[in-house]
Amino acid sequence: MPATDYQASFLGRISIRRNQVIAMDGNHEQELQDLELFSKHVSERFAELLSSPDDIPFDALLSISWLRKLLDFFLCCEAEFKGVLMMGNDPSQISKPPLDRLIPEFLDRSVKALDVCNAVTNGLESVRHYQQLAEIVVSALEQKPIGDGQSRRAKKALTSLMSAMNVDDKECSAAKATERSWSFSRRGVSSKDRVPEHFRSVSNQVAKNWSAAKQIQAMTNNLVPPRGAEGSGLASPVYTMSVIMVFVMWALVAAIPCQERNGLSAIHFPAPKQLNWAQSIIGLHEKIGEEWKKKEKKGTAGLLDEMQKMEKLGNILMDFTDSFQFHGDITDQKAEEAAARSAELAETCRRMEEGLLPLQIQIREVFHRIVKTRTELLNALDRVGKSSPPLL
Amino acid sequence: MDGCRSGVPTYEGDLHVVAAAHHIVKALGATKNLSDDLRKILIDLDSHLSMITSNIDSKGGRGLVDVEERLDQAERKIMRWETDPMMIWDSGPKEASDYLEAVDETGKLVDGLRGLSVHENRKQKEILHRAMNIFQTAMSRLEEELIHILVRHGQQFEPKNMYSRSIRKDIVYDESFVSVEDEPTKETSSQNCSNDESGECIVDLVHADVIPDIKSIAKVMFTSNYGPEFCEAFISVQKEALEQYFSFLGTEYLSIEDVLKMEWTCLSSKMNKWTWSMKIIVRVYLASEKQLCDQVLGGLGSVSSYCFLEISKATILCLLNFGEAVAMGPHRPEKLLRLLDMYETLADLLRDIDTLFSEEAGSFIQLQFHELLERLGESAIAAFKAFRVAISSNGSLYPFAGGGVHPLNKYVMNYIRMFPEYWNTLNLLLKNQHPGVADQVTKPDYGPDTSLLTSCPMAYHLRSITSCLESNLHKKSQLYKDEALQHIFLMNNIHYLVQKVKGSELRLFFGDEWIRKHNAMFQQHAMNYERATWSSVVSFLKDNNPGSSSMSKSTFKERCKGFSIAFEEVYKTQTSWSIPDPQLREDLRISTSLKVVLAYRTFLGRNLAYTDDKCVKHTVEHVENLLLDLFGGSSRSLRNSRRW
Repeated sequence: MPATDYQASFLGRISIRRNQVIAMDGNHEQELQDLELFSKHVSERFAELLSSPDDIPFDALLSISWLRKLLDFFLCCEAEFKGVLMMGNDPSQISKPPLDRLIPEFLDRSVKALDVCNAVTNGLESVRHYQQLAEIVVSALEQKPIGDGQSRRAKKALTSLMSAMNVDDKECSAAKATERSWSFSRRGVSSKDRVPEHFRSVSNQVAKNWSAAKQIQAMTNNLVPPRGAEGSGLASPVYTMSVIMVFVMWALVAAIPCQERNGLSAIHFPAPKQLNWAQSIIGLHEKIGEEWKKKEKKGTAGLLDEMQKMEKLGNILMDFTDSFQFHGDITDQKAEEAAARSAELAETCRRMEEGLLPLQIQIREVFHRIVKTRTELLNALDRVGKSSPPLL
Repeated sequence: MDGCRSGVPTYEGDLHVVAAAHHIVKALGATKNLSDDLRKILIDLDSHLSMITSNIDSKGGRGLVDVEERLDQAERKIMRWETDPMMIWDSGPKEASDYLEAVDETGKLVDGLRGLSVHENRKQKEILHRAMNIFQTAMSRLEEELIHILVRHGQQFEPKNMYSRSIRKDIVYDESFVSVEDEPTKETSSQNCSNDESGECIVDLVHADVIPDIKSIAKVMFTSNYGPEFCEAFISVQKEALEQYFSFLGTEYLSIEDVLKMEWTCLSSKMNKWTWSMKIIVRVYLASEKQLCDQVLGGLGSVSSYCFLEISKATILCLLNFGEAVAMGPHRPEKLLRLLDMYETLADLLRDIDTLFSEEAGSFIQLQFHELLERLGESAIAAFKAFRVAISSNGSLYPFAGGGVHPLNKYVMNYIRMFPEYWNTLNLLLKNQHPGVADQVTKPDYGPDTSLLTSCPMAYHLRSITSCLESNLHKKSQLYKDEALQHIFLMNNIHYLVQKVKGSELRLFFGDEWIRKHNAMFQQHAMNYERATWSSVVSFLKDNNPGSSSMSKSTFKERCKGFSIAFEEVYKTQTSWSIPDPQLREDLRISTSLKVVLAYRTFLGRNLAYTDDKCVKHTVEHVENLLLDLFGGSSRSLRNSRRW
């Protein structure tokens, strides 16, 4: 994986540097070089993400593998960022203006990012549920020959799938979750395959009233590009890393079912185009934002590529099962078409089966990394703060 | 599958073979751990056999009519429930087994008909589709029945008696150091459940009576390729039941931001609750859930562990997140004990977790537990260090009135009294932590009586903490202008320290040598006090000229007056001083009495000739009584009580 290469070479470079005795004059120059290298890597990585070809389904924008790559890059950027910030020559710099203000703000953003990570991890549980339902559809349509029974079986699972995706989208807040109950209202129902009036939605394992959109909005508080002389100092990587963090969290929330996402597309974070590294991020932000606006109108559980495919295939197969039930039988051509769609759905399920757990694990890794960096920064601040003598 | 099905043999009447074969199938069906392949072969064999008995030949005819009749019968049995408002399994075992029989029959017919080359025969195709349709209705119904059974017979267990909530008293660390005087009720969480093998704690999440029903539904759904439906329904219901139980325990979902902002008292009770819920969820609920999964889905390969993971993952992660949030928070000293509780709980549960999530997919959860344990350990060490820093940096601007036991001392000693309960954990965590500057002070130069306990890491750290405390108390004593009061203060505080150590398990870690040394220390301060206060007072009574029998009257008068003034001055000041420990107060009064009263009596005895003089203001008895007023904590003046 290219991502780990970046990391390895970078860490190697740091360890070499640490063992070198650098003349005082060289320090500042070295720092500038580090900063430059950091933003160069950032722009390279995000350019790669932006150029992900849509026609190769495996790497498509917001696909599971794309998200995993995004998180990989996040981890690399984060490692470099920490290197730039903490391996600096003057540790007390972090407690001096402007970092004395920027670092606490950054830490605040980190904590908010952690809650986003958890919400998204939780959202992946819903995606996992879609996968289970889609697998039933595949299993039903795999049977040969397809008869009314199998078509009904598929339709039942499809109905659950579509409603589940729909419920998750309709802001599955905690209030909704408490109303859930298992009921089939058997009396007087004539439908052959009752779909339980219970849809497993995003479980309420996120704090009440928590809103993903508001959280991300809050992460953009005080997020302004460094101006003037600040631009050449450590303020700039703090800003860059903040933008990356906000963007990554925003993209995750856009892709994966999450509690309260109203107004997600309205979130802007000021990343000036003249900054080289920011261009690809801006590009991605616009691209995903457009997608979100399109979907926001008709509602979507998330922009995750696999989920969108699932939705699309689900609609087609739903039509198929409907027409099957209406006509009692279907033409061979239609059966072939359905088989092809079903195979596509099977492929999507397979990709989910392969990718969802690793994605969940990776989000957890991001979580732990953010925690770790936060702890290290707090410790560093603490050490610097210790210079003032205690009272007595 | 299709490959296995060759043409249907048409041997007739060999009922013995059929019966024997059925017997084999039944016998095998009852055994667990059937491999998937074997199962498949047996299913095929089963359907083949059923086809043989119904005597279908590929050209239709009489056989097909039989099949249709059988299907009609099964259909009637299955479809009659579609208009019945009752649930089948609620209606009685006979109904349920009839229904399953009909489903089984339909399934056999479907499989058998599929085995035939259906495309050649329109009639056959029709029957097959009809059979599949009925079959789907039945499967859909079974799914409903399953959900109904799980919901209706799901049982919540009362957690109250499982693990009595640990009610270790909370000590609130604040600037005022209030409310720490009381002896904390020594209440350790009863671990009656945790010491047993986990089997003792398993409850029936679903009533045991319906397990065979669920199993029979699972069996028929899985063999009919409806396993995904079964899992989906099973996971949905059980996952929600777990979530409901989670909120039933009173555990809420908190964001990390919320936890970090939380007030200490609130956080402390949440930490307590977490410790308790974690035990119940893992050791009782999840262990029981695992058993349920195994009971119902055992023998289906990895299905059981897959379902278990899907059911439990979200709740587990939620619990872990609270732990992460707590570990991330500021490492304030008051958090230490709660952190240790959490750490111990988690460490204690690791084995359970490793068993519950032993499959590869669950290793992710295992890892999260191990990581959190590590993080809580680090956090506890940080809180431990913060505790010491807080002790040494606790500053005062003004001397503590009366020279009694300082609140910091009370707080620290009452706090560390709890440490022995966490002995093993603290030793483990502190093993590689150096106590730091106080190291030399705490290295015990103990002789041969050095026990294992006094030389364990925790013992070093405990002594390091008290030596921090002692040096802070010394600093605080410097705030008194009166040297005597400095000694009273130190005597009081060191005495308190020793009493706390002696009166608790701490004595095992501090050791006799430490206690002896500190006993000597406060006694030294008592002696220093006597010297500082009374030497000058008693010096008035000293006979400068021991050879002569008596002094001059004027000298006597002068001495008497000097003594009275000095004594009254001491009386006025030191009645406001305080020695909270009655025994210590008594001891000091006695030894003071011995010194002062004896000297006074001797002085007066030597100068009997002048004793009726008005210059003797205080009788010996009076002085003796007045000494009893010292260290009462409220200032008295002889001018107020007596006419001068």
